Amino acid sequence: MSHIVEHPVLDPRLAPPFPQAALPVLRNPQLRKNVAHAIDVIQTKRGKLIHEKTDWQDLRSAAAAIRTHVLENLGAYLEQFEARCTAAGGHVHWASDAAEARQIILDLLRQEKATEVIKIKTMTSAEIQLNPFLQAAGLGVFETDLAEIILQLGNQEPSHIVVPALHINRSQVREIFAKSMGRPELSDDPHALTDAARTYLRRKFLDIPSAISGANYLIAETGGVAIVESEGNGRMCLTLPRTLITLAGIEKVLPRFDDLEVMLQVLARSATGERMNPYTSLWNGVTPGDGPQNFHVVLLDNGRSSILAKKRERQTLRCIRCAACMNSCPVYRQTGGHAYGSVYPGPIGAILTPQLMQMHHAQSLPYASSLCGACYEVCPVKINIPEILLELRSQVVDQERHDLGRFFDPLYLGLRAAGVILSRAWLFHAVQRLGRIGGSFVTRKDGWIHAMPSVGGKWTQTRDLRGFPKDTFHAWWQQNRARQSEKGAK
Amino acid sequence: MHASLFITCYNDTLFPETGRAVVSLLERLGVELDFHPQQTCCGQMHANTGFRSEAYSLAKRLVRLYADVEHIVIPSSSCVAMIRDQYPGLFEELGNDSLRREFAAFLPRVYELSEFLIDKLGVEDVGAYFPHRVTYHASCHGLRGIHLGDRPFRLLAKVRGLDLAPLPNLDRCCGFGGTFSVKNAEVSSAMLAVKLQDVLGTQAEYCTALDNSCLMHLGGAMHRQYAGMKTIHMAQILASTESAPMEALL
Amino acid sequence: MATLSSRENVLGRIRQATASVALAPDTLAAGYASIPRSYTRKGSLSRAATIELVLERLRDYDAEVIETKPESLSDAIHRVLAASGRRTFVVPPGLPPAWMPPGFEWMIDRGLSHEQIEKADGVVTGAAGAIADSGTIVLHHTASEGRRVLTLLPDWHLCVLFASQVVETLPEYFARVDLSPALVTWISGPSATADIEMTRIKGVHGPRHLNVILVHDEA
Repeated sequence: MSHIVEHPVLDPRLAPPFPQAALPVLRNPQLRKNVAHAIDVIQTKRGKLIHEKTDWQDLRSAAAAIRTHVLENLGAYLEQFEARCTAAGGHVHWASDAAEARQIILDLLRQEKATEVIKIKTMTSAEIQLNPFLQAAGLGVFETDLAEIILQLGNQEPSHIVVPALHINRSQVREIFAKSMGRPELSDDPHALTDAARTYLRRKFLDIPSAISGANYLIAETGGVAIVESEGNGRMCLTLPRTLITLAGIEKVLPRFDDLEVMLQVLARSATGERMNPYTSLWNGVTPGDGPQNFHVVLLDNGRSSILAKKRERQTLRCIRCAACMNSCPVYRQTGGHAYGSVYPGPIGAILTPQLMQMHHAQSLPYASSLCGACYEVCPVKINIPEILLELRSQVVDQERHDLGRFFDPLYLGLRAAGVILSRAWLFHAVQRLGRIGGSFVTRKDGWIHAMPSVGGKWTQTRDLRGFPKDTFHAWWQQNRARQSEKGAK
Repeated sequence: MHASLFITCYNDTLFPETGRAVVSLLERLGVELDFHPQQTCCGQMHANTGFRSEAYSLAKRLVRLYADVEHIVIPSSSCVAMIRDQYPGLFEELGNDSLRREFAAFLPRVYELSEFLIDKLGVEDVGAYFPHRVTYHASCHGLRGIHLGDRPFRLLAKVRGLDLAPLPNLDRCCGFGGTFSVKNAEVSSAMLAVKLQDVLGTQAEYCTALDNSCLMHLGGAMHRQYAGMKTIHMAQILASTESAPMEALL
Repeated sequence: MATLSSRENVLGRIRQATASVALAPDTLAAGYASIPRSYTRKGSLSRAATIELVLERLRDYDAEVIETKPESLSDAIHRVLAASGRRTFVVPPGLPPAWMPPGFEWMIDRGLSHEQIEKADGVVTGAAGAIADSGTIVLHHTASEGRRVLTLLPDWHLCVLFASQVVETLPEYFARVDLSPALVTWISGPSATADIEMTRIKGVHGPRHLNVILVHDEA
């Protein structure tokens, strides 16, 4: 598989910093093309639908307001959800962190004497690294989403939260399926590949009595769970087995059933550029005779409550995992998801991942942005991602101000010095003169600088810099325009 | 009409010709300009890299410097966006009531160049002549930060002799992003490569914008690649007349 | 017990995190009611146009749609079934007998096993409603719509939809439903994936063939 990037590490504790992680991707034309193509398809479809939806901005406002209201009253709504879900025959569990959640799920499966489990795609389960844990405990874990099967069988990591295998093209899928399904005759036609997946999964759906799902929404009013999908594997997993375990971040709650009238309208348009996705399922607890009779919800904190506590950053938790931000992001377009070293990539990943890590890891992610603002423009729940990126940057700097290693970082030194220099006009002017003199040593005959040392070298890797002009603007003004009244200093 | 020019730290140092163009243009339109000799920087570079206290000091300094001025004209959307988007948060967090009051009085008097021309002076035709094929690049701060909308296009439409080539994917970031251009130099360059394809594809002679920051990044690559296109700040196009043409420096 | 203290831990952290903003229990409902909702609630299309729209959307999804009048419903069902070339159909226990014409094998679901349902050629049900704007058919899985597995395993689904059940917008559907049903499935087109190079493939799991009979039961 010559075009597949070496196995990326999607653990923020271990992943290389973003600038470094991005390098192999930037040098991979196939990957960049796959990502750009996938994004363009979604963006074009989304664009048409947003244009047609005359109340789109009103929907965004309502969605943001609903999510804000829930987060501000999260305790009350979670307790309501728990009470209603339990009354309807479900069991609600609480997990402080990933390790607890994994253990709860394993214990539930052991209670059922399960040897295998089928899964609907859930990024939350990837966040807590559930699959390797269950596999190490001897369980067979079968993903059932087409993208997740591709990743699982091809031993790869997701690079997008809605279309996780977007970095893989059809011939790469063919290779994976042919090998792992024992189907060497398989063509690379997406129809044939999809059919192969359908056949591969059919018996699993019918035979495996335990399933794990995530949740798009938890409805507090009814104790209901809603799952939004396209393929039907979700319906299979939450209808056919005897046991269903739903893993959900605590922030997934909506107050009432009716709130789906807003959320369903914004989610599909943002995520896949459709008015509505093919299948949305909702169930309240257990219905005798219909679907799993043994139903559990595992509510996951894993750092979310600490984000909740921060006034400015709380909006991060409004996220409904639509991926519109990464589809609109010019940085993500070039790097794909793996460079972010987290199961949550792109703009939302850049703010969510370091915060889930309590700012101990992934400190390069808030800088993985040119602050263009496209993400904020498309976010259906109006998360001001640029604002949070800036907030997190200042937290990183404050953390590192006293770090000796940082003290010798040229960029840090330069910015600290610049802060002093720019606060006094005479000092600024003096440094400008020095800069011009220094610059003259590296300015070529064409009047441009082609190479600079240190941090400057990062600029001149790919760009020239026009040489420092002989006169600054203020010097020109002094000579040509300044009037007596202005020559007095303030 | 009086106005005070805030040239910005990087224009003062690297693009004084943009400043000269602004002066030439506004004087031609009958504006009495002044220039505060103590001005330095709005603090954007620090704010965007996470050096909040340094940014706050510079922000406070700027607001106080222009306490008694009628209008402040700034030929840089990113600096205007800094003032409008980030100063409120900085002063909320680190300032006091008195400073917040000063800022409230100061804020409405701040204009980006195209805003000043169209909203304050009420002109679209500034009497410019620039007989070249030009493409306009919308900087993200201008587009999404301060919502310049169609102001740049309205101004360019009235420039005699100018052949405007529309830029595909106008709303896509060029990859400059301030310190992003060096902290994430490779990704920045990848974004630049993609943007440059669109820009060079217009076959224009000049790429213009209302921010020299983006133009420095685009122009730097054009120069490196002998691409046959130059960058020029829109102030210089608008200042250019038949009798006094103004080209970008070579 | 570990889980008990986790609950208190998590809820405790949440309460602390939102102490300055959380509403008191007796004002929570009012807080919810004050959420501004300026989005379109009621559609602006006439009834005729709404029905036109739902038919258009369903056809866009490659659903086979025919229209009929109430008095001709049985015949319409017969025609559709005959044209399908299929013989064995599962049906929910509450399906009207008039909707089960002779000449076909009817398996009424009074506790069919998954294997039995898997053997059927198709399924016939009613619906709870439809939303024209998105071409969505809604099932509440009542006795005439059937357990969820009935409309999931067979490859062919005939859904009888009455014009009076169709609304234009999603908020209108929610306005009609008083209490949240215990089970809901919203179906907008056959199952699909775009996971391979964004090529949209229809019919992954779930019925690959959707047929709708729209009964014009309004004046």
